[in-house]
Amino acid sequence: MLEFSRRALLGSALAAPFIRGAAAQEGPYILGSVFPQSGPNAEYGGVFTAGVQLAIQHMEADRLVKRPLRYISEDSQALPQQGVIAMTKLVNIDKAHWTFSAFTAVSKAVAPIGDRAKTVMINGGAVGPDLSGLSPYFWNVIPLAHLETRALLPYLVGQGKKRFALVYVDDPLGDAILKELGEQLPKVGAELVGSFSIPRDAQQFGPVAARVRQVRPDAVYIASFGAQQSQIIKGLRNNGVSQQLCSYSAMNLASVGSLPEAEGLTFTVQQVDYAGGDALTRRFAEDFRRAHGKEPTVYNANYYNGCRLFGLLAAELEKTNTPVNGDSLKETLHRVKKFPLVGGIGEFDAQGNMMAAIEVVQWKGGQLVKLA
Amino acid sequence: MLFVQLLLGGVQNGALYALTAAGFALIFGATKVFHVAHGSAFTLAGYVFLYGWTQAWNPVLASLAAVTVAVAFGVGMERLVYRPIQRHEGSFFTVFVAAFGVSIVVQNLVGVVAGRGFASIDTPLSNASEVLPELFLADVFWVAIVVALVMFVALTLFLSRTNAGVALRALAQNPDLLRAYGLSSSRLSMLAFALGSALVAPAAILTAMTTGLNEAVGNHVMLLSMASTIVGGVGSLRGAALAGLLLGVAESVVLVFLETQWASAASFLVLFGFILFRPSGMFGAAVAR
Repeated sequence: MLEFSRRALLGSALAAPFIRGAAAQEGPYILGSVFPQSGPNAEYGGVFTAGVQLAIQHMEADRLVKRPLRYISEDSQALPQQGVIAMTKLVNIDKAHWTFSAFTAVSKAVAPIGDRAKTVMINGGAVGPDLSGLSPYFWNVIPLAHLETRALLPYLVGQGKKRFALVYVDDPLGDAILKELGEQLPKVGAELVGSFSIPRDAQQFGPVAARVRQVRPDAVYIASFGAQQSQIIKGLRNNGVSQQLCSYSAMNLASVGSLPEAEGLTFTVQQVDYAGGDALTRRFAEDFRRAHGKEPTVYNANYYNGCRLFGLLAAELEKTNTPVNGDSLKETLHRVKKFPLVGGIGEFDAQGNMMAAIEVVQWKGGQLVKLA
Repeated sequence: MLFVQLLLGGVQNGALYALTAAGFALIFGATKVFHVAHGSAFTLAGYVFLYGWTQAWNPVLASLAAVTVAVAFGVGMERLVYRPIQRHEGSFFTVFVAAFGVSIVVQNLVGVVAGRGFASIDTPLSNASEVLPELFLADVFWVAIVVALVMFVALTLFLSRTNAGVALRALAQNPDLLRAYGLSSSRLSMLAFALGSALVAPAAILTAMTTGLNEAVGNHVMLLSMASTIVGGVGSLRGAALAGLLLGVAESVVLVFLETQWASAASFLVLFGFILFRPSGMFGAAVAR
């Protein structure tokens, strides 16, 4: 049996409260986000931030990491230029250990900055296919658009939709979806009968609806985001486009679901079982409901996961007293690969993309209904 | 039929642009204040009506509330922002920056209070039905036309038949002479802001029904108002209104010939065309230097 002197015990007892304090003296881990907090896409910023904040709350409650966490939110306005300014500040001035980005155009703009500074960037909201492999430090915790369309198109074709029209925003996301539909539709026995590009700041969609009607589609795919996607839905429906509307996970927003014109809108999201999932998923969902009085969305879960992933990696590094930086985090991600996250075990591939099951859902009476 | 469809859609949007542009032109013409925060009056009016609608207020009451808030904002800007600046130095740039700052504050306040994201009014008025083969029209089309006409007729009568209206026109032309006659340019400026801001309310309400609102919607409105004022001829109310209509039609009809992404650009092509070939605008007087 081990024996301790009274002096040693007293010394240990007195030192105990300062052990964590000593770690804390190294300073906090800085987590920074480049989300839109103003402008027509600000709703996303609020959704993404809520996920990060809840994860930080849980990580602190669980004492997942030894050092305190400090979260810095920068406003990208969903614009690449603003995103670059925000990211430059985060990596050069705030010395962020871990950053979050969103929106395809913004993510592509900030990636070189994070890459040069070897700072990890987590994307849980943008779905442009070329975000895969953007940088060794750029990781996606959301399935990218090519995976979403490959899940959606066979389902819709099975429902008898053969002629697709595409209304897409003139940016990297829209271009990627156009390319994807052009390639994938013939493979499933359907065709792209019309594609209609719109500027990011367009607000009038009556004229676009007239052009869409002309090509007589069976379904209209909307590739946009933020306030504009709701405007497109309303613009098309109010101007005689009665065909099936479909899209990708960006439609998983409360403001879209509450829109009467969005009734029947079919799109794809990640599969997350908030009610019957594991303990972590249930805790996330319950605490989210308690804090916000509503059901969490996949975006909340994604950024929760993105933040929690930092905690899991940093905790792993702390065990061996390894400095927490971009390289050590990257090495740990590729070594561990699988992590307990909201929705189940998240597994990352060599390019830092988390693999996730996708389901086809539909807005019905303001609620998401699973179709396939 | 596509051309007719796009033309009618353009007329509907143009009628709303005309209202906001006329409001901006009235303020700028009478007071020479470049009221960049005009779009904020639009945003506020739209959201106040939306609030009234969601609270099941009588639509007339909600409309009056929207007009009141727009007018209060315009008058408040004149009293609390522009006048103190003009009292000290009043440079164009200072006024511009102050107004721009206020518009950013309003945008963020609206986001905080009303929530960030898209909001719209669900009404059967905006649901189009097929009136002829391949021609869809919603009732809101007629509402927009009638409201715009009524507002312009009322404004024209006010400016031409009432003492206050005539004084307002005089303020635009020669404020020194106006003061020599013992009239208060200060009160008339306030009246210009009140009337100009009131004009955006119907456009904001109809926009809430058709394309919907977000806290940044005022930026687009402001751009169109400025473009219309230049195309119509600086100082000409009639010109601004007609230019607003023209820009609305242009951005719609252009889709007969060009791809959809050029719709917004069409308005500004018209603007550049006027700047290059008729800098004084449709009804503006050429100024010899």
